[in-house]
Amino acid sequence: MAMADGKRLNDEELEKLLAEAGREAPLPSGQLLERIMADAEAVAARAEAPAPPSVPPAARHGGRAGRLLAALGGWPALAGLATAAVAGVWLGLAPPPGLEAISRGAQLPLGGGDYGVEEFMPSLDDMLTEG
Amino acid sequence: MEMPLDALNDASDEALLVAFGNGDRAAARALTLRLTPRVLGYAARLLGDRAEAEDVTQEAMLRLWRMAGQWRQGEARVTTWLYRVVTNLCTDRLRRRRGVGLDSIEEPADDAASAEDGLARAQRLAALQEALMRLPARQRQAVVLRHVEGLSNPEIAAVMEVSVEAVESLTARGKRGLAKALAGRREELGYGDG
Repeated sequence: MAMADGKRLNDEELEKLLAEAGREAPLPSGQLLERIMADAEAVAARAEAPAPPSVPPAARHGGRAGRLLAALGGWPALAGLATAAVAGVWLGLAPPPGLEAISRGAQLPLGGGDYGVEEFMPSLDDMLTEG
Repeated sequence: MEMPLDALNDASDEALLVAFGNGDRAAARALTLRLTPRVLGYAARLLGDRAEAEDVTQEAMLRLWRMAGQWRQGEARVTTWLYRVVTNLCTDRLRRRRGVGLDSIEEPADDAASAEDGLARAQRLAALQEALMRLPARQRQAVVLRHVEGLSNPEIAAVMEVSVEAVESLTARGKRGLAKALAGRREELGYGDG
């Protein structure tokens, strides 16, 4: 057990000391073990919990209005419906040129009357006045 | 779905973890009893503080439970994975702790401290712990994994995510540092005057 430096531990002594530290490892307390097992139980319980049903959020509000909203497909679908309704009202109040001709044509019996192709074309005058 | 008691004792860590991933609570209990002492011991050596080591141990085990469902047998060893998680958690804590003096490092408790032999042992281990805390973190990890935990160099390389050569170098430098830090304390360590 020759040592280059009398005051220093040699490799063998040092490794013996470290191995002793390994044998003297602190024992976990009962509380720590309980906390760890409680964590395991919580993780296992979460994994086993049934997945939440995939209902549109609107249905969760309950009530008749909520169910109707859910039946329509939730808020996104309702927004689409609202847009379509507003567009319908707008067309009724201020129909673009030519639309009247189409709707009149749709009401005519087949092959009937004074219905001409040129009526589908907006006239140049309309273009000019609309800027 | 639960394993019989005999099978629990014989089963590998990996098999137990997969069983827990399938809902087997007894497997979690067996893993807790088997792994917690090792995890706590390693964390305590790296941190030099029992309370912090307990927190790290609980956090590391929680991460193990959370990943049980995705564990694939044969991919890695549970202990290697755990040592890596503990190493990283301790590194984070030590970084946050920077500036705290060595005086705050707890001396390891020893139940047999009243007996003379126990006292001498407690002093020896306290001196060693103090010297370990003076090493750079990576050297301390390598020395503890090799000589306290008894891992092989390839295992340590997997834990520390470095090459085997780097592990050898870290261990050698760490041991030189320890010998230097413990020089002049031979008597305290029970080795006489040399």
